[in-house]
Amino acid sequence: MNQKKQNPIKKLLSVRGMGGALTAFIGLIIIYIAFGIINPNVFSGQNVMNLLRSMSKYLIIGIGQSYVLITGNIDLSIGSVVGMSSMITATLMTMGVNPLVAILISFCCCMVIGIINGFLVGKCQLPPFIATLGTMFVARGIAYMVNGNRNTDAIASGIGKEPAESFQNVFYYGQTAGVYNTFWIAIILFIVFFFLLSKTRTGRHIYAIGSNVDAAKLSGVNVVATVTKTYLVSAFCSFVVGLILCGQASMGNMEAGNMYEMYAVAAGVIGGISPLGGTGILLGTLAGSAVWQTLENGLNMIGAQVGIQRLVIGIIVVFAVLLDVVVRNGVFKKKATS
Amino acid sequence: MGEIIVSMEDICKSFPGVKALDHVKFELRSGEVLALLGENGAGKSTLMKILSGVYTRDEGKMQIFGKEYGDLSPKLAQEVGVAIIHQELNMCKHLSVAENMFLGREKKRGIILSNHEMEQEARRILDDLKIDLDPKQTVGELPVSKQQMVEIAKALSINAKVLIMDEPTSALTAKEIEDLFRIIKELKAKGCGIVYISHRLEELQHIVDRVTIMRDGQYITSMNFADVTMDEIIAYMVGREIKEKFPRVSCEKGKKIFEVKNLNAGRMVRDINFSVYEGEIVGFAGLMGAGRTETTRAIFGVDPKESGEIILDGKEVKVNCPMDAIKAGIVLAPEDRKKDGLCTKLSIRHNIALPNLDLLCNKLGVVNRNKEIEMCKKAVKNLKIKTPTVEIDAKNLSGGNQQKVVVGKWLARNSRVVIFDEPTRGIDVAAKVEIYNLMNELKKQGIAVVFVSSEMPEVMGIADRILVMCDGRITGEVMAEGITQNEILTLATQFEKKIVSDEK
Repeated sequence: MNQKKQNPIKKLLSVRGMGGALTAFIGLIIIYIAFGIINPNVFSGQNVMNLLRSMSKYLIIGIGQSYVLITGNIDLSIGSVVGMSSMITATLMTMGVNPLVAILISFCCCMVIGIINGFLVGKCQLPPFIATLGTMFVARGIAYMVNGNRNTDAIASGIGKEPAESFQNVFYYGQTAGVYNTFWIAIILFIVFFFLLSKTRTGRHIYAIGSNVDAAKLSGVNVVATVTKTYLVSAFCSFVVGLILCGQASMGNMEAGNMYEMYAVAAGVIGGISPLGGTGILLGTLAGSAVWQTLENGLNMIGAQVGIQRLVIGIIVVFAVLLDVVVRNGVFKKKATS
Repeated sequence: MGEIIVSMEDICKSFPGVKALDHVKFELRSGEVLALLGENGAGKSTLMKILSGVYTRDEGKMQIFGKEYGDLSPKLAQEVGVAIIHQELNMCKHLSVAENMFLGREKKRGIILSNHEMEQEARRILDDLKIDLDPKQTVGELPVSKQQMVEIAKALSINAKVLIMDEPTSALTAKEIEDLFRIIKELKAKGCGIVYISHRLEELQHIVDRVTIMRDGQYITSMNFADVTMDEIIAYMVGREIKEKFPRVSCEKGKKIFEVKNLNAGRMVRDINFSVYEGEIVGFAGLMGAGRTETTRAIFGVDPKESGEIILDGKEVKVNCPMDAIKAGIVLAPEDRKKDGLCTKLSIRHNIALPNLDLLCNKLGVVNRNKEIEMCKKAVKNLKIKTPTVEIDAKNLSGGNQQKVVVGKWLARNSRVVIFDEPTRGIDVAAKVEIYNLMNELKKQGIAVVFVSSEMPEVMGIADRILVMCDGRITGEVMAEGITQNEILTLATQFEKKIVSDEK
């Protein structure tokens, strides 16, 4: 075995799922430079900062959705949990509750949704699409009910101007080391969850379940617990994004996070996370969310309308999955029969 | 011979509708290779799945290393030292060889997986077994035989004292089988007990010490391999008397209707040649996985074929998809009627009309309701389908009546060749007889009938001529009159020689 002599590029490519992630990164660079040539403002420092901040939200929910996708399931409740997190935290703060306590209560509520998802999909064997469709409506319903079917007032009205400002700074407007805090939050979560997925036993089991759930079961993997953990990660990520949106708007919006579950799928899938389970790495999700935001940002900067933006993203998502399906059916079949 | 390490007594296990195991006893000693033999559905795999914690038993006692165990889980069984190599491959195709071997019991430092350590260990085990594989390789990229070796290495990596191998050689090459047998002998010398399940009886002489024979979910007998001949083993395996009565009808054998020449479609369909004459039923016998279903699927155009001619009434027909076959008049009543044969959530009327919509629709594609109802009523009447109306869902019918609906939808158009794949599976004796009568009826009408079945007595009782398949090839053709089950089973186990016989 002459593995030690392999050059670093080959070694990098031999990491499972790296192919998809690298493709997305290359795509990202091409897209970014292309837009920059059309409109040099794309390269401006302020724009890069904005870009990093706006992609952070998608990166975080993308991480949550990726965990679920790798097990071969899906979480449709993400957007609603974002809204629920945002509404619960904001409503409590307008009532004068200490921000930390408000955050803690919101956290607990979001985790309950995660546990319910895990229970329905893992234990009761409901199709994940249906189970999380249910919790999607339930969580959105709660987001509406929390403040009596209307958006909240400004959070400053309850906890006072200064605490409100520091809440907003922590989650959205503030900067550390010249970069928006939102991005730092996303990067910390990225590192933690990247580590958990690639280096721990639970991470390994997540891949195994997505690859062949029967084999995992027969090898003694606790499938119910592992599936539940993925939904907890997803709910946790949604919770964090809820706080970010709450900080951004300085109030709770009942429709916050609408459609985010789908954005999360797109971010993961563009980065090579297979919606069929078993493959993909979070580096891909990072690239995927960056591709997405660069596209949106770039199309914005060159004056394209929202319609065009959606259209382009739609095509890219389908293309990414098509690539995945072709690779799976093509490569695997050929090798298996030869 | 060592002491008894596994003993199971009065084990019972039922699945909905079937008693898979009926008070079975089983013993395994240390340092022996025990062949667990029996026909399809004898309960061998079920019994071993109970021992390895995949299934839980309904009743009975189980002792492993002298200790009584209640319900095992796969994980607990591993910890006790029982490892199983499943008949179907059970690998995570996206994970590497080492990752698969250590799945469920990963080595870690703190909370971090120590991949390096696992890879080293995996390499050591693979080297021990003289299997040339890189532990880092992704399993999905390996050929099936190598995947099988990974499965074996995985079972050995837990230091199993009891090792169960369920058809381990089906995907292996001769060289790999030799390696496997060498490994088995080494393990035996170390005092492991090995349960070896295989349909390839000729392999047994190389490794087996003792045999236990099961039949129809019951324990039949155990004996030393040296004290018994192959013929005796086969006799014990099939030994049941024919209980059902088979209503054979004799017909004048007419002209050749249907012929298949040089059909090849993958590994399970190799160089198939046969023909069917007017007024006869041709039976296909063989063990599970012999390639019979694959052959019928290839003829019907479901699976692509590599080569082969299909000739109907002297003319060649091109069959690239099921619709081609249906139009030509070749139809298939598939093996799994609930999955492939019927849309169980649709009514009888919808099911019967489905393949005949081309006859029932006008040029705009609107279904002519009157014609449709007329067609269904005719089918119900001719086939004696027991149902109040044609509007009830197919899932509410009994197995026998469902089978009649499957046939009914084909007979509504003038089919020339009807292929039945396991038509009597899972239906009661009375309904079976009706299906037999139906086939006889078709035979009398001059329709070519091909009858695939794993139950030897019924093939022998109904078919006029029997083709026996093994491993994707036809290994023999016999007339049904005067043949014995033993002779058929001998043909059905004629695997291509993979190993050179020791016997001089």
